[in-house]
Amino acid sequence: MKLSLLLKTAAAAVLFTATAAHADVKFGALYPFSGQLALLGDESARGLEIAVDEINAAGGVQGEKVVLIRGDAVDNNQAIGEARRLISREKVAAIFGSYSSARSIAASQVAELSGVPYFEMGAVADEVTGRGLKFLYRTNPTAEDMGKLIIEMIVNKVAPGIGKKPEDLKIGIIYEDSSYGTSVAGHQKKYATEAGLNVVASQGYPASTVDMSSLVLDLKQRGVDIVLQTSYQNDSVLFLQQANEANFKPAAIIGGGGGYSMQPTADAVGHKVIDGVLDADFTQFLVNTKYTPGLENFVDAYKKKYGEAPRSGHSLNNYVGAKVLLEALNKGKGFTPDAIVAAVNNIDIGEGVTAAGYGMKFGKNNQNERAKMMGMQWQDGKLVTVYPDAAAVSPMRLNK
Amino acid sequence: MDTVLQLLANGLMLGGLFAIVAVGLTLIFGIVKVVNFAHGEFLMVGMYLTFLVTRLLGLHPFVAVIVVVPALFLLGALTQRLIIQPLMSARDDHIQIFATVGLSTALINLALLVFGADIANTPASGLRTPIEIGPVRVLSGQIVIFAASILLVIGLQAFLQSTATGRAIRAVAQNRAAAQLMGINVDRIYILTFGIGAACVGVASVLIAPLYPTSPTIGTYFVLTAFVVVVLGGLGSIPGAFVGSLVIGLIDSFAGFYVGSDMREVAVFGMFLIILILKPAGLFGKRLNLSHVSP
Repeated sequence: MKLSLLLKTAAAAVLFTATAAHADVKFGALYPFSGQLALLGDESARGLEIAVDEINAAGGVQGEKVVLIRGDAVDNNQAIGEARRLISREKVAAIFGSYSSARSIAASQVAELSGVPYFEMGAVADEVTGRGLKFLYRTNPTAEDMGKLIIEMIVNKVAPGIGKKPEDLKIGIIYEDSSYGTSVAGHQKKYATEAGLNVVASQGYPASTVDMSSLVLDLKQRGVDIVLQTSYQNDSVLFLQQANEANFKPAAIIGGGGGYSMQPTADAVGHKVIDGVLDADFTQFLVNTKYTPGLENFVDAYKKKYGEAPRSGHSLNNYVGAKVLLEALNKGKGFTPDAIVAAVNNIDIGEGVTAAGYGMKFGKNNQNERAKMMGMQWQDGKLVTVYPDAAAVSPMRLNK
Repeated sequence: MDTVLQLLANGLMLGGLFAIVAVGLTLIFGIVKVVNFAHGEFLMVGMYLTFLVTRLLGLHPFVAVIVVVPALFLLGALTQRLIIQPLMSARDDHIQIFATVGLSTALINLALLVFGADIANTPASGLRTPIEIGPVRVLSGQIVIFAASILLVIGLQAFLQSTATGRAIRAVAQNRAAAQLMGINVDRIYILTFGIGAACVGVASVLIAPLYPTSPTIGTYFVLTAFVVVVLGGLGSIPGAFVGSLVIGLIDSFAGFYVGSDMREVAVFGMFLIILILKPAGLFGKRLNLSHVSP
């Protein structure tokens, strides 16, 4: 009696998993959900979740419902452990992630060895795709895109805006000296030299500094016209405040994402002081939606699901990456790694079509060669898009 | 010349900032012989309290001193009574160090839970006003910090030298066992001293909060330098901590300008090593007689 019951239960369980496996396709969602990076890790994951909701509402991928299995990449070791679990125990078809470059680099190594595709939609470090992995794809713009866009913006907009020739401008580059600041600054220098700009200072500093007065004094004495800073929040606030207090007023200050894109930074520095400061980052929300079709729907879906407005553009960029990838998989045949790779390699989307504005086509090292950042400016306490023109909601404000 | 004067002013102001954080740390180290790794987090707690008092009641940040200093005294006293004291009899002194590291991590995560990772802004209330003295510009708030650090050093020194409690504290610092034989309640003195050290960082947090946005990890920004200052000044020496702070502040300021911002820490720590090689006990320190440290 007991044995037959056990057998029945076992049979039912097998049947249940079998039918479930038939109707569902599992993907990993690997982000830092706890620990210090949790805020933006969670924000990134929300974008992926909204993309999956939309795909499932439209009938799933190849007729199967997409199920996300979460993995918490709180540190690099756990990122590796969770990637292993997702692949070997949960049998996911691919992993989506991961916001943090360090986590992404660690976890994608595991996926590569197992031959499972890994889709990075938010980490910016060069090394993520720089390692030439076969199964790693990246949809989002990178540190290089950031450096490139900033220099492009100086040549095309800022220099004419302040009434000077680009080569007459004195550029000062300052950056926090971890891999984030160093790599962005490296690209800035490279593209600035190519564009014939005059870089008069390039200074790293530890992000944990409590004083930047010497640095400000140095930039002031060199007569720097344009300051490029790549920084976290603490050092963004510190520089903007100390520059203001030392009466150092360069024609333009251009931040590279990080602290410069966050509302609390503007509130801490003071809206008057930060007014006119420029910033390059992922597509944010005050942007011309004709260039970013679907952005309003995304914001509505986000508000409905999470009961608040998006906290940063990280969710949007993960949403766009996931949506394009899942739609491509829908046109593929099956979920074997080779089928996924073949489907993804077929992606060819032009500029101004996705909700983030940038297009998508994977080039060298599986990096999205059409990924682009946008130029923003703090105007009246808000971060509005000002570059490129097609995406701008307000003209760039500069003083001649 | 103007540049040199400005760098001098920047260095002194920075030194004042380090001093006001380091005074409490050196006091706790000198007397209780505990390296308090949670000192930076005490500062963070004080800054959040200042933020709350200022925001909720709409008062000037300085008024928060009435709340913050007693609260921090209590936090310090409780830390000594509940965490350090039970470990005092442990065979290995290092256990106390680990306990304060644990406390520090707990406080950071508690702040993350309560306030989130975003920064909190205490209103500047006129403390960010640049003041021009000849060719030199400094902030009103920096001058206040500098003055307060001098007052704190003088006040503490006077308290330790000329009150009965102060003498008892010094007696315990010199020889715990002998002090006990003279009828001093050593445990009580430890609790009191830890409390006073934490109250000092309470004063610091009220003055620093309007100048720096508060975040759960803000303490770590200040406290590493405070440790350097304490060692440089001579472990436990309050005037030493003050002079050490000015030295570090000036090196930081001049090296940042003439050598480069990324070389500031190299300069600061390089100089720190050189001074220690020449004067192993620090600028004002006496060589510790280790037989007196543990009974």
